[in-house]
Amino acid sequence: MKKRIDFRDQITRNKRRSVFLMFSVFVILVLLGYVISLAFSPAYFFIIMIVAILFSMSYILISYYNSHRIAIASVKATKAYKDDYKQYHSLVEGLTLASGLPKPELYIMHSKQINAFASGRDPQHAVICVTEGALEKLDKNELEAVLAHELGHIASYDMRYMTLVAVMVGMVAIISQIFLRSLWFSSGGNDKSKIIFMIIGIALAILAPIVVYIVQMSISRKREFVADASAVKFTRYPGGLIRALKKIKEDHAPPEKKVSKAVAPLFISNPFGAMGKTHPSLDKRIQVLERM
Amino acid sequence: MLLVFWILIIVAVLLIFIFLGYYNKFVLLGNRIDNSLAQINVQLKRRADLIPNLIESVKGYMKHEKAAIKEVTDARKVLMGAKGVEKKVEANKQLESALKTIFALAEGYPDLKANTNFLELQRELTATEDKIAYARQFYNDSILAYNNLCKTFPGVIFANMYGKKERKYLQITESEKKKVDVKF
Repeated sequence: MKKRIDFRDQITRNKRRSVFLMFSVFVILVLLGYVISLAFSPAYFFIIMIVAILFSMSYILISYYNSHRIAIASVKATKAYKDDYKQYHSLVEGLTLASGLPKPELYIMHSKQINAFASGRDPQHAVICVTEGALEKLDKNELEAVLAHELGHIASYDMRYMTLVAVMVGMVAIISQIFLRSLWFSSGGNDKSKIIFMIIGIALAILAPIVVYIVQMSISRKREFVADASAVKFTRYPGGLIRALKKIKEDHAPPEKKVSKAVAPLFISNPFGAMGKTHPSLDKRIQVLERM
Repeated sequence: MLLVFWILIIVAVLLIFIFLGYYNKFVLLGNRIDNSLAQINVQLKRRADLIPNLIESVKGYMKHEKAAIKEVTDARKVLMGAKGVEKKVEANKQLESALKTIFALAEGYPDLKANTNFLELQRELTATEDKIAYARQFYNDSILAYNNLCKTFPGVIFANMYGKKERKYLQITESEKKKVDVKF
């Protein structure tokens, strides 16, 4: 009973955080536009601001409604058709029965690592993606546990917040990068205020991704434990997940290069190897599961 | 005077919202139970529908296992005729054990074991068994959520008011609950 309430609280929290995140990104983008307009061409202040506001709004709407597609495309995953991946489909179908969730779209990522992630703005628009390595190396119970973990993220609306962070962070990083680069090539004026604004601009451009990176790091640590717990709730069997995590730990597939750092926290284990700061250590998670 | 009037209005509106909210909660959770019950039936039906194909593919190979085959067809008939989910689940148990016998016997027929059609059916039947277990689990989870709402405060007040009663769990026998853990 207690856990059930916690779960619902988490959904509300995730939704609230998503709104807050979208609002902050909007503010940051408009602020960036403001700084740019002051630093470079005060004459076009209003036009630049209007463009900045329109751009931020469409940016947020587009990333909200397409976050899962962007995430899927960014790891170059392809659709898993039912005829080719029968067990994968049938395991997910069983788990949707156990969790009462609609069946998500299923994808395959072409990687030798054992990994998986979920994405989407709500359970009706959710996707699950697993690596070829996971399908090859995990047995039925282990794969089921990993899929249950991902469904746990979907049920708690983790993936809405996490995907939004991943997609928006990735973009903020790119935008600030462009901003910095354009500073390099612009001819410097002597105007004092111009220099000040340029400094602010640079500071913002450096700070923006760092700030959101901190947000990004703070998201997945606790969430992984909660998703592990819901995986056990769905399968009623911690053994599968324990063995899966152990296999992931002992797996020596090379760190992923195709994956953008921005989407790393979406995965069940960090695709950049054990040193990542985006996930709690596998040992800790196994320990918690063994106590269940 | 006016202030008191407004306060009363606000309180009344709030109360209406709470009443409606609890009513909807009962309806939603009740629907979830009905829906999960329907899911169990869907999976049981799928399972029963697979059986004739299985018999068809097995018949040619297992000529001397008439009794075992008959047991499966009989169990299927019972399942098809069973009324109420408790009875159906019970019948499914019978079918499950009859199928186990068939699959065990199949080990002795290398030709049958190489038959892709048979393997496919075997896989499918095992998968539906898992799904039935999950559907039943969700059914009981839904009942738990519903009963918790009925029994705890303040839900218990509304439950009495709306005439909502606790629902009964689907009983599972102990031997069934254990998940078989196959290690290679």
